[in-house]
Amino acid sequence: MNHWIFRCKDVSALISRSMDTRLPLTRRLGIRFHLMMCHFCREYKRQLRLMSLAMEKMDVSLSQDTPAQGRLTPLPEAAKARIKRRIENFR
Amino acid sequence: MAAPHQLSPSHTWVDTHGDYLYTMALYRVRDEEIAQDLVQETFMAALNARKNFKGQATEKTWLTSILKHKILDWLRKKYRESVVLRVPADQENPVDWFDRKGQWKNGPTPWSDNPEQLLEQKSFLNMVLQCLETLPKKQARVLSLRTLDNESTEHICKVMNITPTNCWVILHRARSLMRKCIQARWPGKGEQHDESLDI
Repeated sequence: MNHWIFRCKDVSALISRSMDTRLPLTRRLGIRFHLMMCHFCREYKRQLRLMSLAMEKMDVSLSQDTPAQGRLTPLPEAAKARIKRRIENFR
Repeated sequence: MAAPHQLSPSHTWVDTHGDYLYTMALYRVRDEEIAQDLVQETFMAALNARKNFKGQATEKTWLTSILKHKILDWLRKKYRESVVLRVPADQENPVDWFDRKGQWKNGPTPWSDNPEQLLEQKSFLNMVLQCLETLPKKQARVLSLRTLDNESTEHICKVMNITPTNCWVILHRARSLMRKCIQARWPGKGEQHDESLDI
């Protein structure tokens, strides 16, 4: 099946680019036309969007964690001790 | 108006915020020693600046924003000297899931009927983070700036010393690799299902 002008390979790149910059109208229309007919590329776009949303939430999600929950990487003890000394000696 | 936030005594900072800041730094610079140094620099800068703390943000948010500046400074220095590498045309898309006509060989299969619900699940967020860790360093750094910190591509180009086109190509690759990684780990979908993700 030939999805008009754009190939899936190009559309996947353009979907990514459209998340970073505003594409020219002709490209946007071309993508929209392609997406109407191609469920793979539709799903690709959906998944990229989900990944982005998940990453945007990361700082907040992790900031509510305690180290016991295991998602934070513990700052090694040696580094902790070193930094504490530096803070103590700060004038 | 809520009461302004207060700073806690500086000797408690490392225990309270050390792990969080270290984790933040690790995802963004992908180097343990550098990340430790950046956390230390963050606390030192915070000590110097604490008199200017106005209490508009929490202590954690304030420290995090100092850390993010330190990370940008480090990246800027690291990439300032580096030669701008052209992305070879034949590597435009290293991913071989398209056939010669540019159509999907194995197209994406749906993750969920309910994306909003997916975003509430810690297991999904964790999978995204684990896949972020599998990216090559430079891709991870660029994608982190763009997506974790919502920096503009213009700013990222300056910091990383790359052209906009280069930046878009790197972001495209990073996103496709991450998507592929998540797909492969998706319960019941991929062949490389990782048991540890089921916790």
